[in-house]
Amino acid sequence: MTSKEKDWVIKVEMIQLQSENMDDDYYYQMYYHRLEQRQAEEELLGWRNRQEPPKLVTPFIQKVETYNSVVRIAGSLGQVAVSTCYSPRRAIDAVHHALVEEVGEGRLCWQLFLQLLEVEEMQRKMSLAAEEQEQKSQEAERIYQALKIRACSSEEEAEDEFLQLLCVQKGKKLTARLLPHLSPEQAEKILLTITHHLPFLMKKDVLDESLPLLYSPLNKVVGRMTFSKLIEVLQEMSRPLPESPELPITMALKNQFGISLLYSLLSHGEKLLSSDTPLEPCSGDFETWTDVVFLVARELSQVPKASLVEPLFLPSNLLSLFCRYLDKQTVHHLEAKME
Amino acid sequence: MNYMPGTASLIQDIDKKHLVLLRDGRTLIGYLRSIDQFANLVLHQTVERIHVGKKYGDIPRGIFVVRGENVVLLGEIDLEKESDTLLQQVSIEEILEEQRVEQQAKQESERLKVQALKERGLCVPRADTLDEY
Repeated sequence: MTSKEKDWVIKVEMIQLQSENMDDDYYYQMYYHRLEQRQAEEELLGWRNRQEPPKLVTPFIQKVETYNSVVRIAGSLGQVAVSTCYSPRRAIDAVHHALVEEVGEGRLCWQLFLQLLEVEEMQRKMSLAAEEQEQKSQEAERIYQALKIRACSSEEEAEDEFLQLLCVQKGKKLTARLLPHLSPEQAEKILLTITHHLPFLMKKDVLDESLPLLYSPLNKVVGRMTFSKLIEVLQEMSRPLPESPELPITMALKNQFGISLLYSLLSHGEKLLSSDTPLEPCSGDFETWTDVVFLVARELSQVPKASLVEPLFLPSNLLSLFCRYLDKQTVHHLEAKME
Repeated sequence: MNYMPGTASLIQDIDKKHLVLLRDGRTLIGYLRSIDQFANLVLHQTVERIHVGKKYGDIPRGIFVVRGENVVLLGEIDLEKESDTLLQQVSIEEILEEQRVEQQAKQESERLKVQALKERGLCVPRADTLDEY
């Protein structure tokens, strides 16, 4: 017998041992009666009272008797005849209820995915005539509207449909594949939403670890952003949270997607600043930028190296960014940390 | 490892040689391989042992699956003490012959008893099987 089988038998025997009424249980009463007698004898004989015999602790397994009027066996192609002692012949369900069991987000995800596949199909057609381009962007627009994105909503995360979608791996995949087909404004809105709710998304992603799927398309979005928009996004990450003493930036440093996104944002900012193109910043942008850089440097130096996660991609211009604002010693320290 | 202290379970008896007494009077000896919550048993390299007087004979039976309700008792066989027995092992044919003779003798004495009782006016119903409900 394998140990699994033995454990199963023991579990079943343990369940059988469970007795609702201990007073009427002859075996229980007798056993403990004899045990006490034996212990009393031993004490009388002058023996030191032996350590208590191992007490049997049965795992309390709730015996729930449920009666399902219609039994559906997972993976079957329809109604399977099931009979038990409660009902020799189970009721047969004539109407197919397959979709009802799917999770709400799952259904939406699935439908949107089909629409997305259509968009990509159109993209694949090599020569896109003007009308077809129009059609494609309309389709993409439809999907985008269906997502009901509310950027920077202060509502409960549980009520935000788009966020709930993002909690599922399929939802992340959908968004990742959709991003290239959206207009820059729409894509930036998605980025803003994600950054605003980053701690929530990172927490929900612990099991799946599928956030990195979004890194690549978001990286491209970041690469096209204006300086002001970039500042807006960075502000989201540096805003303190009501429930947590940690800043989103600090949390991001401990998450692979978070740190990669952060580095991507900083890298793009550095690229914009060191290029010759006019930036057209809004007032206060440069100050916010410097503040963010200092903040990141501070958090990077404070977070222990063991908690830091390796990013998906380490941009090469980060060090030169830090060099401009910080002293050599700090830069060396950060360099060691980022390696 | 004591899985369940204070309880009786056959888990500890797995893979050991056992003697099993069945309700129909048969004696089986075999290695206990598997059990379940009803004490259904799977015996491996089973041998049915027939005892007549001081003689016994072993009939090899292979693998047995015994339904739990048919077991009267079972116990582990001490392999060291197994060989110190006063009983004499004989061949299968011989023991079956001895058993037949014993059965005949028993039936004969039973018949005489019933007749004697009938003569005295008493009628005792015969128990055909060992199971009495």
